[in-house]
Amino acid sequence: MPSSNTSNWVRHVISRRAALRVGGLGLLGLNLPAILRSEDNAGAAMRRIAPKARSVIFLFQWGGPSQLETFDMKPDAPEGIRGLHRPMASNVPGLLVNERLPRMAKVMDKVCLVRSVHHTMKNHNSAAYYALSGHAPPLDDIRLKDSQELFPAYGSFVDRLAPSIDPAIPSFVAFPHVISDGSVTPAQHASFLGKQHDPFLIKQDPNAANFALPELSLPAGIDPARLSARREMMALVDQQSHLLDHAAAARGLDAHYGKAMALLNSEKLRNAFQIANEPEAIRNRYGRTTYGQSCLLARRMVEAGVKYTTVYFDQSIGGQNTENGGWDTHGFNNTRMFPIIEGRHLPLLDQTLPTLLTDLDERGLLDSTLVLWMGEFGRTPKINGNISRDHWPDCYTVLMAGGGVKRGFAFGASDKHAAYPVENMVRPDDIAATVYHLLGIDPATEVRGQGNRPVAISGGRVIHEIIA
Amino acid sequence: MLPRIASARSRSRTGAIRAAVACLLVVAAMRVNPLSAAAPTGVSFRQEIRQVLARGGCNAGPCHGNANGKGGFKLSLRGEDPASDLRAIARELGGRRINPFEPSDSLVLLKATAALAHEGGQRFSTNSWEYRSLHDWIAAGAPDDGALRPSPVRLEVSPSETVLFSPTNETRVRATIVFADGSRRDVTDRAVYDPVSTSVKTSPDGRIERMQDGESVVIVRYLDLQEPVRVAFVPAQPGFVWRAPKPANFIDAQLQRKLRSRRQLPSGPIFDEVFLRRLHLDLLGIPPSAEEARAFVADKHRNKRTRAIDAALERPEFADFWALKWSDLLRVEERTLDRKGMTVFHRWIRDGIATNRPLNVMAREIVSARGSTYSHPPANFHRANRTPVDRALAISQVFLGTRLNCAQCHNHPFDRWSQDDYHDWAAVFGRIQTKVLRNDRRDDNDSHEFSGEQIVYVAARGSVANPRTGKPAVPRFLGETAPVSTDASEGPDELDGVGKWLTSHPQFGRVQVNRIWFHLFGRGLVDPIDDFRATNPASHPELLEALAADFVKHGHDLRRTLRLLLQSNAYQQSSEPHATAADDEVNVSHNIVRRLTAEQLLDSQARALGAVTQAKGWPAGTRAAQVAGGAPQKEGRKSPADRFLETFGKPPRLLTCECERSDATTLSQALQLLSGPVVNELITRKDNRLARWSAPDQPAAAAVEDLYWSILTRAPSAAERQRFVGLLEAAPDRRPVLEDIAWALLNSKEFVLRH
Repeated sequence: MPSSNTSNWVRHVISRRAALRVGGLGLLGLNLPAILRSEDNAGAAMRRIAPKARSVIFLFQWGGPSQLETFDMKPDAPEGIRGLHRPMASNVPGLLVNERLPRMAKVMDKVCLVRSVHHTMKNHNSAAYYALSGHAPPLDDIRLKDSQELFPAYGSFVDRLAPSIDPAIPSFVAFPHVISDGSVTPAQHASFLGKQHDPFLIKQDPNAANFALPELSLPAGIDPARLSARREMMALVDQQSHLLDHAAAARGLDAHYGKAMALLNSEKLRNAFQIANEPEAIRNRYGRTTYGQSCLLARRMVEAGVKYTTVYFDQSIGGQNTENGGWDTHGFNNTRMFPIIEGRHLPLLDQTLPTLLTDLDERGLLDSTLVLWMGEFGRTPKINGNISRDHWPDCYTVLMAGGGVKRGFAFGASDKHAAYPVENMVRPDDIAATVYHLLGIDPATEVRGQGNRPVAISGGRVIHEIIA
Repeated sequence: MLPRIASARSRSRTGAIRAAVACLLVVAAMRVNPLSAAAPTGVSFRQEIRQVLARGGCNAGPCHGNANGKGGFKLSLRGEDPASDLRAIARELGGRRINPFEPSDSLVLLKATAALAHEGGQRFSTNSWEYRSLHDWIAAGAPDDGALRPSPVRLEVSPSETVLFSPTNETRVRATIVFADGSRRDVTDRAVYDPVSTSVKTSPDGRIERMQDGESVVIVRYLDLQEPVRVAFVPAQPGFVWRAPKPANFIDAQLQRKLRSRRQLPSGPIFDEVFLRRLHLDLLGIPPSAEEARAFVADKHRNKRTRAIDAALERPEFADFWALKWSDLLRVEERTLDRKGMTVFHRWIRDGIATNRPLNVMAREIVSARGSTYSHPPANFHRANRTPVDRALAISQVFLGTRLNCAQCHNHPFDRWSQDDYHDWAAVFGRIQTKVLRNDRRDDNDSHEFSGEQIVYVAARGSVANPRTGKPAVPRFLGETAPVSTDASEGPDELDGVGKWLTSHPQFGRVQVNRIWFHLFGRGLVDPIDDFRATNPASHPELLEALAADFVKHGHDLRRTLRLLLQSNAYQQSSEPHATAADDEVNVSHNIVRRLTAEQLLDSQARALGAVTQAKGWPAGTRAAQVAGGAPQKEGRKSPADRFLETFGKPPRLLTCECERSDATTLSQALQLLSGPVVNELITRKDNRLARWSAPDQPAAAAVEDLYWSILTRAPSAAERQRFVGLLEAAPDRRPVLEDIAWALLNSKEFVLRH
């Protein structure tokens, strides 16, 4: 059926259905034979796509950065909208950035902006769930709770469908926080895919002098030789019971021990986390901050072969001081957005992202590494009574670089106030579909969800227009 | 001509309402005089075409029945909304999908026969009845037949259960529908056959083929009716000789009957050491001490196992460990209940188990509870489940074994529940309110956090909207036809009523005994244990009925049912399957090996090494099984012990479902055990069991013996004794060797798995 004839109808049905969707379940149907097929075949039956990106670094900008103070400035808008900052030209003609991002201006030829991203979720956890999973949440409410009914993080699907080649290297690594806004934000783990697809999660601060991973470190007094000796003793005990011969649970546990030993013995992985081995100059270039060193650590993950690395900008939505916290600058408690982002967020952005992109490019890694910089929403075009901006999911900008996307390119456009998209509207679903596609994963691949539902990993459209 | 119930291009809500009204008028007209409408001729849309779409799988979830449809064409899931399906097929796109003048050129037929490219491929051929029906219906102008035809009231399948021995590789079922007037019609060639596993394959003519040996269920569907067919393909096993111990009670008799019919032999009995370890882990959450185990093995009394069961049931650890299971289900957690509410509710549950309060009494007290969440602990149930829908879902899931979630958005595809059933049931709890006397929450952004006393009460009014009708739902107990009176001017109100109704419901006893069975055997007779429905039949229906009847008859006594189960040969049989039952998962031919739960594992490690777990926020000497709440969620509040428990699947208790507790094995678990801080701390503590054996003058053989009995509840084998005694005697410093041995034993499969 030619889609041009049906698209209006489809849109009608989708929106009507979206309006009816309540609870965590949506209206996805299910059919037992198909469920079983998808369980047996997921991964195997996936349509093969040539991958353009070997790895993804997802820099999640928790709290919601303002599009108007970063990559979608509107200098001609009235003062109450354009704000206090001026734009500057970048090294790509026509692409303006905030003049407080001078280093960013020098690397815009490496990036691809999508300026027409929009959705309707106004709460942090709902919107962040959308951003982190690519699926619209069942409700836009602070009550949205993390549960097994919700979709997993991108990285968990990557681990399930296209894992790292080296078994000692995790496919999905996330650091340095678990984010929350009141309750833990959903879509940071594997959810219904099962705990085996959870991220390798690091909550230690890579900027700390004694940064080390207890998971990969042996207890005091235990060297690898002693651990091996212990494991041999364990094998002797295991031989007595025959459990390994007849119990699948025993064999499964043993397989995890094998993998855990491989992790503990993997020089490559251990070295990847030895951020102290990085030259001082490079560490300083990223900035001696938790976020800066996390960006550096992300590059080291890519070098080690990790497929999907998520870096969270901060643990909390923040926005009320320049010491810590994310981008949520409402002006609450008699604060003001502009001094806060001038003092914290913009300098941090300008130090880290250009450094990471340049570093990856110089190492020949940018073409195979997709860097995804996005928050859960943008901020209101109209400046509020606190000379700050509130939540605005209706239009915001997502930045991508490398991994097969066009360089020095902008896709989609907002209106004159950066309030609504005027062309090439993009939903978070489409961002997700594009990320999967670039990794060589068919976004239409179906897996079993909660209650044995066949669910596509993404319902979005691949944005072919931005692929180089 | 029949009245058109929806105009060609009306897709608006008002259109839908008008259609519904029109439909009602048709029904009303029929009631007055069924003969006044012309007798329907030709093909029925609502019966025949709907079944054509079901047979083709067209309206299945992965195809056009998907929430978003497929390829721009959307049907209601499994045809639950015929009016919208009629619109989709015959009216949308200006009727482009059908061509009444050239029916065979209709898009729906060209697609379904793959004459035009169709992502779903060919669904039926041009010489099938499906094709003819659809063709003739289109030729007749694609009419709707409203509710003019009588619907079948029952679907019968024959045989409903069958056991087939190789080389027999297939069987056939017949499907018959029965109408209200008793008339019958064979629909074998018209029904839908869905296998629930890949071990069988079905054909549209009712054939079931073996793909591999084993038990399987095929669901036969016709319109809204569905019935399961149980099929077992069994290897012939020439020379099979049935051999089994004399049944200890009716449980064994029932299980053996099925095993025998499948030519599977039950596993042999377990040794005393394994029995006592299993019993203590299952009832107390910890293994027996070395002393208890050695005394039990040495005991020559004939009834010593029965006595061990009775003794364990009276221990305080039993109440702790079984209160933990109930606390998981009832969402005993701090964030919503606050510390005091959580503590009193947990204590109330534990007291109920310790004093053997009948489970129906406990359930009624929980469901009908009201009042202060501090002074009347069970009222915390309604505090934890804060909306009418939450309460309705929780109560049906926990006490009736019914998962209703699907019916929130569409009629339940595998069960009989409609959206109306769902909302009417939720409306029973529409008036329940909690008065928040104060809320001293620490986190202003966390709307789930409550700190302070609350009062649960039944308000003067309150309702639940039914989104399908847009009107308040009528309070009605689940599965009942009559509404519940909410007139509480005198006597008991609906909250009292629901407790009474629930605990006298025939499903109540089944669900309780199935849950108890699950905790001892690792798999419910109905599995998952809260998903009872006709299309998910029990592995042993008669056994389930017998256990439920016994449970109800003897006062809903948890300990009595536990004793019955624990005394059976089935409980006391080995986990190593007999060769004839190597692939059996459902017939209880052998015991299921499974990982210890989070609390079992942590408490067992501590107990085995003679040390107590020291964790932030736990009173000194507390075992993990005694902790009142769920896994903490705030990162900053997690101690290493909390992280250990979380890694091994302790739930935060946000759901009223056993499924929230993960029994998966993961890489992080292996890392925790291999090199994690909790195990390492236990092993290296200077006051643990190893201290006693560290001195060089202690006999090495006694040390090894003691560690084996304490950690694995058995003596070391000759090979183990030789190896470890040798290592100890050769070591200048024994402590590191003892730590290595303890590590090896704590990491062994025998320790980590319950077997």
